[in-house]
Amino acid sequence: MIRINLMLLLAVLASALYLVNVQYESRRLYTELDRARAESRRLETDKERLQVEKRAQATPARVERLAKLRLQMRTTTPAITHYMGDVPGALPMVAGGMP
Amino acid sequence: MSRSIAYTSSPLLASRTPVWRSKLIVAAIALAFLGLAGRAVYIQVIANDFFQKQGEVRFARTLALPANRGRVLDRNGLILASSIPAPSIWAIPEDVERDKVRLTQLAKLLDMPLSELNKRLENEDKSFVWLKRQVDESVGQEIAALRLKGVYQRKEYKRQYPEGEAAAHVVGFTNVEDIGQEGIELAFNKELGGRSGSRRVIKDRLGRVVEDVGEQIAPVDGQDLQLSVDSKVQFVAYQKLREAVLLHKAKAGSVVVLDAITGEVLALANYPSYVPDKRQSLTGAQLRNRAITDTFEPGSVMKPFTVGLALEMGRITPLSLIDTGTGRLTITGSTISDTHANGVLTAEGVIQKSSNVGTAKLAMQMQPREMWELFSQAGFGQKPKISFPGAVSGKLRPYKTWRPIEQATMSYGYGLSASLFQMARSYTVFSHDGQLIPATMLKSAEPAVGVTVLSPRTAGQIRKMLQMAAGPGGTGQKAQTIGYSVGGKSGTAYKQIGKGYGSAGNRKYRGWFVGMAPIEQPRVIVAVMIDEPSAGQYYGGAVAAPVFSEVVQQTLRMMGVQPDMAVVPQIVAKAEEESL
Repeated sequence: MIRINLMLLLAVLASALYLVNVQYESRRLYTELDRARAESRRLETDKERLQVEKRAQATPARVERLAKLRLQMRTTTPAITHYMGDVPGALPMVAGGMP
Repeated sequence: MSRSIAYTSSPLLASRTPVWRSKLIVAAIALAFLGLAGRAVYIQVIANDFFQKQGEVRFARTLALPANRGRVLDRNGLILASSIPAPSIWAIPEDVERDKVRLTQLAKLLDMPLSELNKRLENEDKSFVWLKRQVDESVGQEIAALRLKGVYQRKEYKRQYPEGEAAAHVVGFTNVEDIGQEGIELAFNKELGGRSGSRRVIKDRLGRVVEDVGEQIAPVDGQDLQLSVDSKVQFVAYQKLREAVLLHKAKAGSVVVLDAITGEVLALANYPSYVPDKRQSLTGAQLRNRAITDTFEPGSVMKPFTVGLALEMGRITPLSLIDTGTGRLTITGSTISDTHANGVLTAEGVIQKSSNVGTAKLAMQMQPREMWELFSQAGFGQKPKISFPGAVSGKLRPYKTWRPIEQATMSYGYGLSASLFQMARSYTVFSHDGQLIPATMLKSAEPAVGVTVLSPRTAGQIRKMLQMAAGPGGTGQKAQTIGYSVGGKSGTAYKQIGKGYGSAGNRKYRGWFVGMAPIEQPRVIVAVMIDEPSAGQYYGGAVAAPVFSEVVQQTLRMMGVQPDMAVVPQIVAKAEEESL
């Protein structure tokens, strides 16, 4: 009888210790998960911020300024545009230069 | 001699202790244990709420899960407004370390003089003071790196507007609390703003989250909003408007670009404008969305409606002759005059030459009710159903109160008022085969369903007249573009100064132009208004029409519309051999 009781006591102790360990492990993993989630949120907002920055670099105002000043480009008009017909082989609607 | 007591022989020891005394002690101790046990049961079982709550306060935290405000996009999905993280810096004054070197660094990072920073930290009674709200994230990181005691950061979001002043009046802005204050940000505040959520967690000694408790309320992000505005068209419109306002030394100006098929607003710009990110020295004049909130007498822009009504009712044909005589007409004591004597004009000529007398003569053949009905059907005196704050209805008095002279002046646009936006929209009647279509700020794919105001035939005839008005011999010749046929009507008015219109030499003007292109199958309607041009020229045909021309030219090109007129090609064919 005593033997069984002792064994049961040992089993209870072992399981109790294991429980403590599992609890600890679960909290550690949860912390890690939470940190990963926070990181993902941070990257998400970073992405958003970079997108806005990229867009700010490509606004029509900036593009036009650079095109005009740095690349010496000018605005097109129909007079210097050669329009191609939709149908293959069709004549262009507006007379232009050499195709 | 000393007296001593021999304790061992104390007489007290000799007497026997009564048993009840030890029993009393045992009973008292037992009672005390019982009391403790009772208290323990009370605390742990019966009334454990209080202590559990206290415990929770020490390790459980409710974390807010902020929702992102939706983005505002243009019709091609380009960002017009988006939120980015921007930490706000705050401090507990009495906790702040008075470290001169690091405080100087902090002041530099916050972009404020050290004295200003010290002033904010002076008030030690306060336990909270904002040092600066919404700094750049990189600055926030540098401040964190200073590791200054008593200085903290709060995570906040800031709105960023890449298009800047060009789209300021359309997009509007939010305040520091991320709530819309103007423009689309205000009109769609509810849709854009999300609902923040929360979660309850248990944190350990090091502040790490170790467990979730209870239910988590997920944040609902705001919806992205796709506008009908095209940022490229918007930019061109703003740029050309600004150039014109500066060239003519005008006070202000507005431009509206509508898609003639879908009723979408492609651009809506005003000058002066402002940069939505930097609003420190904002004035009312800059903030004003004139295209929508300012009304004025539409003037000659109304003439096509009067002529259209006469055509519709079969009173005239486009070639009917109308005698405008010497350009003067007297109705019940008041005289209407034209700028030139035009003699006998066709109905087309009345529009082309913009004859007040001719239009008034047509109006005299109509009932006030008929004119009023047409004007209201075209949206005058009605608040435009547009999701935008501050849209005004303009003024159109009920026809029963019209006197004959008023009916005559109203036929050519005086005695009623409308915003530039209303005028642009009213011209969809001509561009959309006689239907007035609803205007929208949001992107829509299908063609708009309108309300029939005039017959398609009349609308076509009026389009031809508008083309003549913008062509040789018309008042709006400067509206011409290369490659695209245009049609439109210019308007000019004295501005009211006090009670009158000012004396000669002291007059203030307003010039505007409303038109469409290509004229056979209009794709865009463009309306331009220049307020108080003061560099010599002031006619709508001279100050506003050139802006119309440039905006139409660029807009149609960007929309990929093929020119409908022959152009003299200027392409220099350079036959250079490609190197292989």
